[in-house]
Amino acid sequence: MANEILRIEGVRKGFGGLKAVDNCSLSVPERTIVGLIGPNGAGKSTLFDLISGFIKPDAGNIIFSGKEIVGLPAYRIAGMGLIRTFQIPRALMRMTVLENMMLGSQNQLGEMILAPIIRHGRVKAEERAIEKKAEDILKFFDLLRMRDEYAGSMSGGQKKMLEMARALMANPRLLLLDEPFAGVNPALSERLIEKIKLLRKSGLTIMIIEHAIPYVLALSDELYVLNKGAILASGQPDKVISDSRVFEAYLGVGSDAQP
Amino acid sequence: MNTMIGQLVANGVVYGCIIALAAIGLSLAYRIMNFANFAHGDFLTLGAYFTLFFAATSNLGFPLACVLAVLATAACAALLDIAIWKRMRSSGANRTAIMILSIGVSIAIRNALIIFFRPDALRFPVPVMESINLGGILLTYFQIAVVLIAFTCMLVVHSILSRTILGKSMRALADNPNLARITGINVDQVVRYTWMVSMGLAALAGIMLGLVTHLNPNMGWSIILPMFAAAILGGIGNAYGAMAGGMIIGLAQEISTAFLPAEYKIAVSFAIMIAVLFFRPRGLMGGT
Amino acid sequence: MQDYLVSIILTAGIYAIFALGLNLQWGYAGLLNFGHVAFMAIGAYTTVLLSMNEVPLILAVPAGMVLAGACGAFLGVATLRLREDYLAIVTIGFSEIVRFILLNWSSLTRGSFGLYGYPRPLEEMIPHEDYNLLLAGVVIVVLLLVYALLEILAKSPWGRVLKSVRDDEAVSVSLGKNAFSYKVQSLALGSAIAALAGSMLAFYLQYINPNNFQPIETFYAWIMVILGGSGSNRGTIAGAVLLWGFFSTTRFLEGYVSLSPSASGALRMVIIGLVLIALMMFRPQGLFGRKEELAVGK
Repeated sequence: MANEILRIEGVRKGFGGLKAVDNCSLSVPERTIVGLIGPNGAGKSTLFDLISGFIKPDAGNIIFSGKEIVGLPAYRIAGMGLIRTFQIPRALMRMTVLENMMLGSQNQLGEMILAPIIRHGRVKAEERAIEKKAEDILKFFDLLRMRDEYAGSMSGGQKKMLEMARALMANPRLLLLDEPFAGVNPALSERLIEKIKLLRKSGLTIMIIEHAIPYVLALSDELYVLNKGAILASGQPDKVISDSRVFEAYLGVGSDAQP
Repeated sequence: MNTMIGQLVANGVVYGCIIALAAIGLSLAYRIMNFANFAHGDFLTLGAYFTLFFAATSNLGFPLACVLAVLATAACAALLDIAIWKRMRSSGANRTAIMILSIGVSIAIRNALIIFFRPDALRFPVPVMESINLGGILLTYFQIAVVLIAFTCMLVVHSILSRTILGKSMRALADNPNLARITGINVDQVVRYTWMVSMGLAALAGIMLGLVTHLNPNMGWSIILPMFAAAILGGIGNAYGAMAGGMIIGLAQEISTAFLPAEYKIAVSFAIMIAVLFFRPRGLMGGT
Repeated sequence: MQDYLVSIILTAGIYAIFALGLNLQWGYAGLLNFGHVAFMAIGAYTTVLLSMNEVPLILAVPAGMVLAGACGAFLGVATLRLREDYLAIVTIGFSEIVRFILLNWSSLTRGSFGLYGYPRPLEEMIPHEDYNLLLAGVVIVVLLLVYALLEILAKSPWGRVLKSVRDDEAVSVSLGKNAFSYKVQSLALGSAIAALAGSMLAFYLQYINPNNFQPIETFYAWIMVILGGSGSNRGTIAGAVLLWGFFSTTRFLEGYVSLSPSASGALRMVIIGLVLIALMMFRPQGLFGRKEELAVGK
């Protein structure tokens, strides 16, 4: 068994009277893809918000590559290599595709206020390297021809791809993908699956929330099912999905999940 | 010493009533329209000048002129809603754009008043009355009237918020605009009535301010700081908080003059506001 | 005629510097600074008071900028974790407080009598009647330097983070950027630039008094920024020229209209208010801005 990169222990989060995440524990081994499914309102996105530090849990531990990260500001967690995307794509609409991409790069000297002036040459060189990398990743996602367009002019599916591409600019150690296939047309989705597999092969660890079960099955090494904020089942994807409790959870809640 | 403090407390209550009325309107509008209206102070001024205008050009008598002025200010609020705010809402402009726009409204109103009434200080055409002595504390009848009217208004606001359909719709709209729309609340109408109530209260506060001091085209704009400080202190968006916040700001400003030069009164509001933002950003009573 | 042109260059130039500071905050970072004039006042008074106490101008001007920057950062720290309108409320209050302090701290500022007779840069090098021409040159150089600095920063990775914070703070945080720190930085730098404009204004006026720093000055800067196109430094400079062009032509026309001075001044301000309303309603991207890169109306 590979080293685990993320471990969640007994995490709870309530909003008012509602338990959004209730005593949730899971673990993500390095260089795997872990799927997270569950009916609408099961607490999947809340769990991502908790892991990435956007909201603070009421109780529990979250350990990322051996360090407790509960209570750290979200930007610090991202800086450690835990990068998330959003369910509703959040491209920076009034910046170009290339600018969106270049923003993703970490530890840029040029992001310090005076560096662009007093270290002009080095910042220029750094920018060229980042731009090259951005173009390579854009090419990987077939988005290179849009590099100078405003991100606001992209289709929903393209924005999803841009978000993933931008996250990769950060050289993440763990990538949290929130419904990467939502709004992406089937042909593109098939290609996206291949790309995500390539990313795993290159050593990336990915945790993925997805409604479209076939895609999750195609990708995941391990699958967790979340229902009403708690882990309902976990294990090998094929076995988990044939578990009758999982079936009931989906039907019982009457979700709009695609079969 | 005791009567001096007593006098300051009395002055503070009078001033606090005015700030509270202004802050209630500000907070209500903030809650429903979801933006800080920087033209609110100028509606105080507008109310005061409408009163002056009606009192000087007719023989209705001062109290009736006040009532007319409040109605006229509310009518202006409705017109402004139709001409500007409604369009901004339906074009989907965000609240920062609307806030900047409210600055334009403020500049235009204030200077239009200067054109019509000149920039000089003016007084209402009411007789100067001697103060009455309540156990060493001197108060004019106007000051007493201000307190009585302000408390009456607060009761009226309370019953509007808690007992009427308008109040319920306002709360529903503030809590969840989309849900309110689906459940059949006429959003535009609720917003318009809220504007009218809020600006009517502002007009009343302006009249009171004019009664206990004097009128000038800058009068409302110049108390924008204590007004916002009161709203923030009470938790911006919370009408009851605004009442309490107004009182606290009024009292703090007046009582501070026992220890500080009177010129620094306004700095007391600012200090309170900064302290609240650091330690209790949702205000003493919580807000949106 | 030459004097007139020089005075327009001076005022438009000084206000362009002032507005460029605001554009950094609003146009690039989306911050609502409604008290920009406070930082101009801090710059002017700090420079003047220090130089009257024999501190050389080469230190007195930066001292004003540092103090203004620190005040800007402080207000940012107090409010920037809250909703964006708190910054607007607190800064507008701060600008009034600064003016009250300047009015009432008479032992230091001589209150409403104001300060005069302070040293000005390069004063001994040139006859008094030609000084404004020299100062206009200085202002233009400073303007160009500020413009160049802001253009470099805006196109740098630093400016990129700032724009991302303006567009969607959560995204920039998710990519490891300390959004709060960038907002505070832009507030501090923009405030320091306003202070620099304040020092220039003091040199030009030769006499400063707290009532030079009324809240309306802040909104002149807002109109310049929005008129030119939020987020465009060049547009902001164009906005400054347009606004001062409007002021000087209307002053010129005043001779032909039978209005009292206060009424014609107020009429000018009513027009300014209506222009701001019309811009926000019908052309929020300003005259030269690009709709795609609009700072308002997400």
